[in-house]
Amino acid sequence: MIGVFSIATVIALALQTTITRFLPFAVLMPNLVLVLAVNLGLRYYGAGAALMAFGIGYATDAFSGGLLGLNALLFSLVFILTYGMSRSLLSSTTAIGVIAVFAGVIFIDLGNELAGADLAPRASLGPAMPAILIQAAITALSAPPVFALTAGTARLVGLRQRGLRE
Amino acid sequence: MKSSFLWRNRVLLTTGTLLILALHLLSSGVRPGARASKPALALIELLRPFQTFVAGVTGESSGFVHDYFELVGVRRENADLRRQLAEFESQRARMQELESENRRLADLLELRDVLATRAVAVNVIGSDPNALSRTLIVGQGSRSGLRRDMAVISNEGVVGKLMVVAPDAARVLLIDDHNSALDAIDQRSRARGIVAGVIDDGLTMKYVDRSEDLRPGDRIVTSGMDGIFPRGLLVGEVGRVSQEGPGLFLNVEVLPAVDFRKLEQLLVLTQKPPELQLEGQN
Repeated sequence: MIGVFSIATVIALALQTTITRFLPFAVLMPNLVLVLAVNLGLRYYGAGAALMAFGIGYATDAFSGGLLGLNALLFSLVFILTYGMSRSLLSSTTAIGVIAVFAGVIFIDLGNELAGADLAPRASLGPAMPAILIQAAITALSAPPVFALTAGTARLVGLRQRGLRE
Repeated sequence: MKSSFLWRNRVLLTTGTLLILALHLLSSGVRPGARASKPALALIELLRPFQTFVAGVTGESSGFVHDYFELVGVRRENADLRRQLAEFESQRARMQELESENRRLADLLELRDVLATRAVAVNVIGSDPNALSRTLIVGQGSRSGLRRDMAVISNEGVVGKLMVVAPDAARVLLIDDHNSALDAIDQRSRARGIVAGVIDDGLTMKYVDRSEDLRPGDRIVTSGMDGIFPRGLLVGEVGRVSQEGPGLFLNVEVLPAVDFRKLEQLLVLTQKPPELQLEGQN
């Protein structure tokens, strides 16, 4: 599982850090690494999945302008919240994943912005909200194909994942 | 074993431990230089070939897509002619790209001569994965003589400074990031302030006294007082000036001179401004 998600993380980060430059607005690029973290919380119930979610956050930190460890913290929280939601609902459908991805993007972006503003909610956070919501929607739309792709790859390499009910 | 408390709660316990580790990283990340940790540098190095490849493919493919749409009609009439024309158009697009790159590099070379300082030309290979952060990744690092906190400029003006430097790649903190700040002056009125990025894209000039006479269109240049940027580099021009609220300072919007989305070749100043070096020696 760690191998598959490590490769997926490298590909997702390579796409996010290069394609964004050619888009008119950075928010049009879906946060693919977050989709991977949600996927882990939704369908992989093990300590390795928690470790991988932390690793995805740390890798994002390595390429991001924020504080080192911030995304590692936020991605781990997204993972554990998705894991908790999936367990309490006894379900790991794509619809739940899409909702978790939408909420996750808002959580990650707000977390990054608040940390950048020394944890003080500022008036200037208001104008950033439409951009955050647009990216959350685009990322949520991109989640089903990413889920399907990782599930397909997992099946291909004989990886055990939690039952899918799409 | 599997029924034990530890096994049943392994995900929660692992995540809890990792959250504590992340908080520790966060607290140590405040220290200067702590960002350039070895695993983070290794990750930047690991991804560099992918980024260089994807950046190259994406840059070239835009030319091919353009050619394709132009040649749809010709393909119906004559397949051979279309192939020849496609090759020609492709070559022409590549030549135009080379010519454009040559022009940009010549401009940078001219700028380096004007500044009379040592500098290294670098290529942009990536950007920040976080949509609301403003950093760029360049394809040269410490092996090319780059160091942390070196100034990064383009022929249009100030771009930012080096934040993390790996052996063959480096990350640039752009001046429009909300974590960025640089000392600047208004070229006409000589009013001094700190130019910083704002979350909703753009720049603002902070701590400008209300009594100062700033006008829209004034050019904002670096003051040279921060020890990173040489004096007199163009930052942007004043967009809007207002005196809202009871504060002591003016609200100054600055329109950046550089289009941060279109950066391809940049210049890293590997030598500090001469006057500040002298100050440091004294």
